[in-house]
Amino acid sequence: MAEELPDPQCLIVADADVLIRNALAEYLRHCGYKVFEAATSDEVIMALEEGAVKIDALLADAELSGKFNAFELRIWVRDHYPDVEIVLAGNVDSAAKAAGHLCDEGPHFQRPYDPESVAAHIKRLLAATRRETP
Amino acid sequence: MDAQTILVVEDEFLIRFMLADSLRDVGYQVLEAADGDEGFDILSSGKVVDLIVTDVRMPGEVDGMELTRRSKLLAPGRPVIVCSAHLFKSESYPADEFLAKPYSMAELADAIARWIGDPWQKSSQTHSA
Repeated sequence: MAEELPDPQCLIVADADVLIRNALAEYLRHCGYKVFEAATSDEVIMALEEGAVKIDALLADAELSGKFNAFELRIWVRDHYPDVEIVLAGNVDSAAKAAGHLCDEGPHFQRPYDPESVAAHIKRLLAATRRETP
Repeated sequence: MDAQTILVVEDEFLIRFMLADSLRDVGYQVLEAADGDEGFDILSSGKVVDLIVTDVRMPGEVDGMELTRRSKLLAPGRPVIVCSAHLFKSESYPADEFLAKPYSMAELADAIARWIGDPWQKSSQTHSA
């Protein structure tokens, strides 16, 4: 009989910038996580309160907007969901590094590629969008 | 070979997550945008997007109709499926397919397959007709 695979661990990636959020989430999916993408703190709260899956960690931009700022959100999550690991990232490089650490602990224990290349990819995407946007 | 990529644009977080998760389970690559502004940021970034699924009424400067128009300017052949509870099919509206909310995942999957086939069908990469 085939061995049953464990459910992937679940993360929330919260960042107001869609290109950063998409890239980090994609990287973490390659590491084996199930990833919710949240654009605001309100969406983080919704993901946690929805409760369909147990969330293991939250990787959030320190400048996250919404009902709570990132620091208020951290306090709220600690009060309501103390088992959720919280990582606040101040910039693209630290967010990519934090994602790399999560991959090291993650379901597959393997990074698909180096966090520095994630950060470089995000910066290229951001530069391309800024050139395009009038 | 990379799977085909679908951009899901929906401001309702739980609907967006459910749609994206279901489409990933089928095998598509999925990019998520929380509103039309984010959707346009993704289209402008140069990422390959084979098909767009978008809501109509969303906050921000770019609603689903405007996103469809802008997508057609960037890539006229790229299919756009519009989903809304307030749908007015019009010849002046440039979307390729309309789904009235509430719709089932099976209906959406059928609509996607009609336009781009299964997830592993060769991606056209660019849709500039």
